[in-house]
Amino acid sequence: MSVSRREFLGSACAALVGLSIKGDRPIAGSFINESFQQGHRIRDRASFAAPKHIVKTPVVIVGGGIAGLSAAWRFEKKGFSDFLLLEMNDQAGGNSRWGENEITAYPWAAHYVPVPGPKAVLVRELFEDLRVLSNGEWEERYLCFAPQERLFLYGRWQEGIEPAIGLNEKDRDQFRRLEELIHRFRATGNFTVPMEIGFSESNADLDRISFSDWLRAQGMDSRVLNWYMNYCCRDDYGATTDHTSAWAGIQYFASREPEEKGPLTWPEGNGWIVRRLLERVGGFCRTGQMVHRISQQGRTIRVFAGDTEYQAEFVVFAAPTFLAPYLIEGMGGLRDFEYSPWLTANLTLERLPAAYGGDPTWDSVVLESPTLGYVDATHQSLRTHVDRTVWTFYWALAEGSASDNRQLLLNNDWNYWKEAILRDLGRVHADIRSCVSRIDIMRMGHAMARPKVGAVFSAERRRLKESHGRVLFANSDLSGFSIFEEAQYRGVTAAETVLKSLGGDSPKVRNR
Amino acid sequence: MGILLFITVLLIAACGLIYELIAGTLASYLLGDSVLQFSTIIGCYLFAMGIGSALSRFLDRGLAYRFVWIELLLGVVGGFSSALLFLAFAYTQGFQLLMYALVIVIGLLVGLEIPLLMRIVRGRYHFRDVVAHVLTFDYLGALGASLLFPILLVPYFGLVRSAMLFGIINVAVALWGTFLFANQIAKASTLRVVCLVVLVGLGVGLAEAKHITMAAEDNIYADEIILARDTRYQHIVLTRFKDDIRLFLNSHLQFSSRDEYRYHEALVHPGLSAIPAPRRVLVLGGGDGLAVREILKYPQVETVTLVDLDPEMTRLFSSYPMLTALNQKSFSSPKVHIVNADAFPWVDANRESFDFIAIDFPDPTNYSLGKLYTTTFYKAAARHLSAQGLMVVQSTSPMFARDSYWCIAETIKQAGLRIFPYHVYVPSFGEWGFVIAGYRDYQQPTSLPSGLRFMDVTGLSALFQFPPDMAPLPMPPNRLNDQLLVRLYDRDWKDISH
Repeated sequence: MSVSRREFLGSACAALVGLSIKGDRPIAGSFINESFQQGHRIRDRASFAAPKHIVKTPVVIVGGGIAGLSAAWRFEKKGFSDFLLLEMNDQAGGNSRWGENEITAYPWAAHYVPVPGPKAVLVRELFEDLRVLSNGEWEERYLCFAPQERLFLYGRWQEGIEPAIGLNEKDRDQFRRLEELIHRFRATGNFTVPMEIGFSESNADLDRISFSDWLRAQGMDSRVLNWYMNYCCRDDYGATTDHTSAWAGIQYFASREPEEKGPLTWPEGNGWIVRRLLERVGGFCRTGQMVHRISQQGRTIRVFAGDTEYQAEFVVFAAPTFLAPYLIEGMGGLRDFEYSPWLTANLTLERLPAAYGGDPTWDSVVLESPTLGYVDATHQSLRTHVDRTVWTFYWALAEGSASDNRQLLLNNDWNYWKEAILRDLGRVHADIRSCVSRIDIMRMGHAMARPKVGAVFSAERRRLKESHGRVLFANSDLSGFSIFEEAQYRGVTAAETVLKSLGGDSPKVRNR
Repeated sequence: MGILLFITVLLIAACGLIYELIAGTLASYLLGDSVLQFSTIIGCYLFAMGIGSALSRFLDRGLAYRFVWIELLLGVVGGFSSALLFLAFAYTQGFQLLMYALVIVIGLLVGLEIPLLMRIVRGRYHFRDVVAHVLTFDYLGALGASLLFPILLVPYFGLVRSAMLFGIINVAVALWGTFLFANQIAKASTLRVVCLVVLVGLGVGLAEAKHITMAAEDNIYADEIILARDTRYQHIVLTRFKDDIRLFLNSHLQFSSRDEYRYHEALVHPGLSAIPAPRRVLVLGGGDGLAVREILKYPQVETVTLVDLDPEMTRLFSSYPMLTALNQKSFSSPKVHIVNADAFPWVDANRESFDFIAIDFPDPTNYSLGKLYTTTFYKAAARHLSAQGLMVVQSTSPMFARDSYWCIAETIKQAGLRIFPYHVYVPSFGEWGFVIAGYRDYQQPTSLPSGLRFMDVTGLSALFQFPPDMAPLPMPPNRLNDQLLVRLYDRDWKDISH
C-alpha cells in the first residue's frame, strides 16, 4: 500500500485537529407496511370479538388494491353509490401502494403500466378519465423519460435490459429465433392483455411444461438468453423460468406490441393511479378494516370486519384469492394458487454514487444478480437538477421454494436485509454506503400469484372466475398472474356483473 | 563578505518588487482596469515603504535580530499573498480590502529592511559607500525582478508559485542573515529552526500550488482563469485574455465578451422589436444578465422576470464589477426580478402571462438539459404567452449541428406554435441559430432600439434566409420519452470533431 503525499498530509492534518476521515454515514430505516401478523391471525383461526355495529349496504368490495378500486371506479362511473370498500391496511393501493418523503414520492411495488394496446379497452378508458390519454395521444410527461433502462454486464453499462453487447453468433441466432417464434404466437391473437380476450384452449399444452423446458425444447441454450428470460419471469411473476409455465413465459412477450414508446410511469409508480382513483372513490373506502369472516345466509352476505358486521347482497372479493378459504365459510381449500414472496426497499440517497455511469436512468439491472435492480423515483421529475433521490429496490425471492423463502423473510431482521441490499448494490456502486441515509424495507410473503405449470389452465381457477353467485372473485390472480391490467379487468368485470344482477332486482342504478 | 552582503540586498529588493507586481497583476486579472490597479497598488506600496523607513528610527537595539525577523515575515506574507488573494476572491467578498492590507504590510516591511541593513553594516564601510552600494544593488534587484516577472515567472510559474518562490528566497535570506550576522544575534539557533519550519511550509505551498488555485484547469482553458467555482449546480469558470472575458459552464463556452453583443442582440431584438407594446418579459436561463441588458433597451418593458437555476451565477453577475460592467448592471434595474428555480417546474406551476419569452438554456448535451427542449416544455412555456406575444429559443448551431437545430424547430412546431427560424454569425461560436415562435404570424420589425452594435433593420431579413448547407431538414420532434435531440446533438458535434 502506498500513501501519496497528499493523503499523508491530509490525514496528518486531520489527526492534528482531532478529526479522522469521515466514515460511512449511519443508515436509518425499518421494516414498514407489515401485514402478515394480521394475516397469520386469520390463518391460525384466531377468535375475533363479536360485532358491535351492523351496517347494511347492497355491495361490499373486499380489498382496496387495483382490482377493488377498479370495481369502485366502475360503480361510481355508472352512478351506483350503494357500496363500501373494506381495506385491511391503513392505506389503500395493495401492490400499487406508495410512500413519500421530503425528496419525492416513490412506489412500494408496481411502478409502471406498459402503454396499453387497442385490446386493453378498459385500461384505455381509465387513462382517458385520468387524462393520461387525450385525443389519441399519450401525455408525454407520464411516458417514461429517456434514458429508460440499462444493464450492467462485463464491467460496463449498456442501454436496455436485453443483453446486447458481448453476444456471440449463437446468442444472436437464438435471440433472433425466439423473436420469430414470439412473433408467430402474437399473430395467433391468443396472447392478449387482458388475457381473457384471446384465451384459447388450443394452447393448453404450453401450460403443461415449464418455460425453461420449453426453451430447451426449442434448442435455446444461450446463457444470456436464458438469463434474460429468467429475469423477465422474476420481474413479472416473481418466479424463475423453472417455476413458470411456458404459456405464461410466452404471454409475457407475445401479449405486447414490440414498438411501444412507453411505459407509463410516475414518481410513485402505480400509486399515482391509486391516488387519482381515490380522488374519485375515496369516500367509499374504509381503511384499517380487516375482514375476518364472510358467511352467506340466503340472499344476505355477512361480512365481519373489526367490530362491524356488514350485511350485503353482493360481495366483490378483490383481496388475494388464497385468503378466500380462510374467510368464506364453507369454501374448500385451493390447490392451484401459489404466490411469490417479495422484498422491496426504498433507499434514500443523499447523492448519486461516484461511478454512477452515464446519465441518470429510470431502471438499472445487473446481469446475474439475484435481485431485480432498482428504479429511480426522481426520474420522472421535470427538474434538470436532482441531487438527492430515492431508489426503489426490487427483489423477488424466486430461487428455491416459496415457503422456505417466506421463512427467510420472516426470520431475518432489518439489518440482515439492509446488508444484503447494500452488498448487491455494492457490486456496481462501490461507495453506495456513503450515499444512502435510509433504507425502508417491505416484506411480502404472498406478493403476487405465480403462474406455475398448470396454473393458468387450472379448472379450479376457471371455476372461481365463472362463479356467478353472490360472492364474485375479482383479484388479478384469477388470470394466473398479477399485473395492473388484469387486476383492473377483473375488478371492472365483477362490478359489471354485480350491476347487471342488481339492475334485475332493484333499480339502484341512476342514469347519468 | 562584501559581495555576498550586496547580493542579499539585490535579492530582497527583487522580492519586494515581485510581491508588488503580483498584487497588481492579480488585481488586473480579477477586477479588470489594470491602469487603476497598478497605480493604486504602486502608490500604496511606496507610501507604506516610506512609513516603514520612518518607523525604522524607533528600532535601536538588536538590529540584526530584527532584520532576520522582518525577512521571515516578508517571506511568509509575500510568499502566501498570491494564494491568499485567489482564495479570498473565490470565497469572500473582501478581496480588495485584503489586497490593500497585504500591499501595505509588505510595503511597511520592505521600507524597514534597507534602512536597518544600512545601519547594521555601517560600522564596516564608509557611510557614502554603504549608501552607494546598497542603493545600486537595490535598483539592480528591481531591474532583475521587473524583467524576470513577465518573461519567466508569469508564463512558466504562474502567480501563486512565483510568490511562493520569492517567499522562499526571502526566508533563505533570513537564514543566511543568521550566519552573516551571527556575532550580533544572541539566539541564532532558535531563529534558524523557525526559518527552516517556514521554508518547509513554503516548499509545501510551492508543490501544492496547483490545488490551491485550481490551476489544473490551465490545461483546459487557454486563457488565465480568473474565477473557478463549483456551485451546487454547475462548475463556473471565467477566463480572461487581454480584454476578452469568457464564461464556461461545465466546460461549455457561454460567451466571449468580444462578440457576445452579436449573440444577445440577435437573441432579443428580432423578436422583441416585433411586439407592438411589450410590457412583461420572461427570460429562462441567461443568468449572465446579458439578454436582460438588451431587453432593458425597451422603455415600454415594465417587468423582466429572470428564472435561472443557480443563485451563485446571478449573484456573480449582480455583484462583480468586471461582470456588471459587461451586463451594464442589468440585474440592478428595479424592473428585473430574479427567480432562482429549476425552469421546467417553474414554468409548469406558474400561470403568469408574458409578451416576450427568451429561452436561453445551455445546449442539450445531456438528458437532464434535454428535458428543456421537449414538446412538453414548449407547450408549458407557450401557456405563458400573451396573444400577441412571441417566444425566442436559442437552438444551437444550424451549421455544425444541423439535425439538432431543425429538430428543435420541429419540436417547437409540434408544441402548437408557428415557427420563424433564423441564424446569425458569432465569431466565437460560429453560425448560431434561434427560433422565434408564437401563436401568430411574425412580421420583421421596421425599427430597432438605437445604439445597437450589430443588428440593423436592413440586415434583418438576411438572418431568416438559410443557405443550402443550413437548409431545413425533416426531423421528428424531441420528446421526453425518447430524447432524440440529445443523441442527434452528440452525433452532430462528434462528426465535426472527427
